[in-house]
Amino acid sequence: MSAPPGKESFAGMLAGSLPASSCRLPVSDRAALLMLFLFVLFVVALSKYDLAGALAFAAIPTLMATASGIPLRPLIGRLLIASPFILFMAAANLLFDRTPMAALAGLPISGGMVSAAVITIKSMATLTALLTLMACLPFHRFGAALSALGVPAPFVTQLLLVYRYSFLLAEEAAMMQKARDLRAFNGKGTGIAATAKLLGSLLVRTTTRGERIYRAMSARGFDHALTAVGATPLAAADIAAIAASALLFTLLQLLF
Amino acid sequence: MHMADALLSPVVGGAFWAASAATIAVSAKKTAAESDGSRTVLMGVLGAFVFAAQMINFTIPGTGSSGHIGGGLLLAVLLGPWRAFITLASVLVVQALFFADGGLLALGANIFNLAFIPAFIALPLLYRPIAGSGSSPVRIGAASLVGVIGGLLAGAFMVVVQTTLSGISDLPFTTFLLFMLPIHAAIGLVEGVMTWGVLASVRTAEPGLLNTTPNAAAPNARLVTTALLTLALATGGVLSLLASPNPDGLEWSIGKVVGAEELRDAGHSLHATLAALQERLSFLPDYGFRDSAGESELGTSASGITGSLIVLLAAGGAGLLLRRRHTGESRP
Repeated sequence: MSAPPGKESFAGMLAGSLPASSCRLPVSDRAALLMLFLFVLFVVALSKYDLAGALAFAAIPTLMATASGIPLRPLIGRLLIASPFILFMAAANLLFDRTPMAALAGLPISGGMVSAAVITIKSMATLTALLTLMACLPFHRFGAALSALGVPAPFVTQLLLVYRYSFLLAEEAAMMQKARDLRAFNGKGTGIAATAKLLGSLLVRTTTRGERIYRAMSARGFDHALTAVGATPLAAADIAAIAASALLFTLLQLLF
Repeated sequence: MHMADALLSPVVGGAFWAASAATIAVSAKKTAAESDGSRTVLMGVLGAFVFAAQMINFTIPGTGSSGHIGGGLLLAVLLGPWRAFITLASVLVVQALFFADGGLLALGANIFNLAFIPAFIALPLLYRPIAGSGSSPVRIGAASLVGVIGGLLAGAFMVVVQTTLSGISDLPFTTFLLFMLPIHAAIGLVEGVMTWGVLASVRTAEPGLLNTTPNAAAPNARLVTTALLTLALATGGVLSLLASPNPDGLEWSIGKVVGAEELRDAGHSLHATLAALQERLSFLPDYGFRDSAGESELGTSASGITGSLIVLLAAGGAGLLLRRRHTGESRP
């Protein structure tokens, strides 16, 4: 098997997601996922103009990201890629809500400014928490955690297969695109018609590969599902961790 | 376009999470019942194909920009609705977890907009009726264009509805809609052509791939009827509250000419008689309750739901009558 692609390439972004770090989760994988969901719920429930609350909750993923030891540049890069739509919606609030709410050093602060800031901070906080957790949680363990939480086996199997084979196909697609671009002059040959044939060819190769993969997996005992773990009850430590995080989020909401 | 967590309220996000999770559970049950391991693996590699295909950009003629295929309808055509839905949902989960495309709470809404709509609305209601048996390239082309554009417009519409219902953005419903729909129509046009190209290419190289789904049976009538009825009631009861309060084209024109939204009664006895009759018969005048002063939200919702049910009864009754007459005529 070829060496994993460099982290700067698209396939590299997918391979291991953000560059590997030595972060370890202090709780079980399932508890971590549930706590993340709880965090997102509390952040989303903050009111439109609750800037103090948004900043308080944003401190949690900031602490997670810095304490985990994961490189911050790729994380920030991902957030920037995700930001255009969020910034557009935040800008819309600036435009449509000009009711003055407060004044800062003589400058009026409109409701739109506050709600735009809250939307941006909430988005960044939830995405940072999500990306930081996924950087610390290998995908096969993520699949096992989902299975233990009762997610249907066919869906978990799909997640694992899509994740696994995206690397191989991304490499192949990158090679095909490079081959196409090297044979194109002044943009000719990169249009819709040529690319459609390229994708058609990739699709046929994908399905042929799928058949080979299935034969190989069947020979190794594949039985329609990759997950053997079924739903199991949460351990006492997990429940305590989740309850503690719920208490912390509730306190933050009340204090700020 | 992917929804973001910060634009959703917990109620709206939770509702779409519940709908998407329920659909995943049903789809998983349906695919597990088939016990076809080879198609399970095919789903996985086709999901990976969608990722890879989105990497390959093509030049959009006349714009100086480039784009990439989305792949929703393409997967639906190749895998059928249930398997395509699970595959698309898994792709969206990976996009959310590793590429910050959307968010955790927004995942439910994104799965609905970008997986449910292509698999269960665009495919059976738009693509399959036009494409037919799939033997005509022209019909496949038309079906691809209509299916992709329809699916993208429906998805964009849902983004606007979800944002408006959440109440976090101050962007007015109409303005947001006018911004989203034309852009997604243009995107859909390009992607529709691309999807047609890929299907045509596959049809030439490997025609058996286009028959990977069971022969296109008519859409499940009960499912379609329930879905359309739910949509009609939701539109009449909830979306009607978002209707513009501004006068429509005719009222606006009359207002410009005579200074009022309606013409004054000219005093003919026939007009007066018919107007009195209409007033007596209409139990929800002006889409509101008879005794309420001015517009009320409950009155508007009640009018929308009542109107939908009356039309359903009338159209259904007419259909039954015509069917009986046709059955009677065809008997020897």
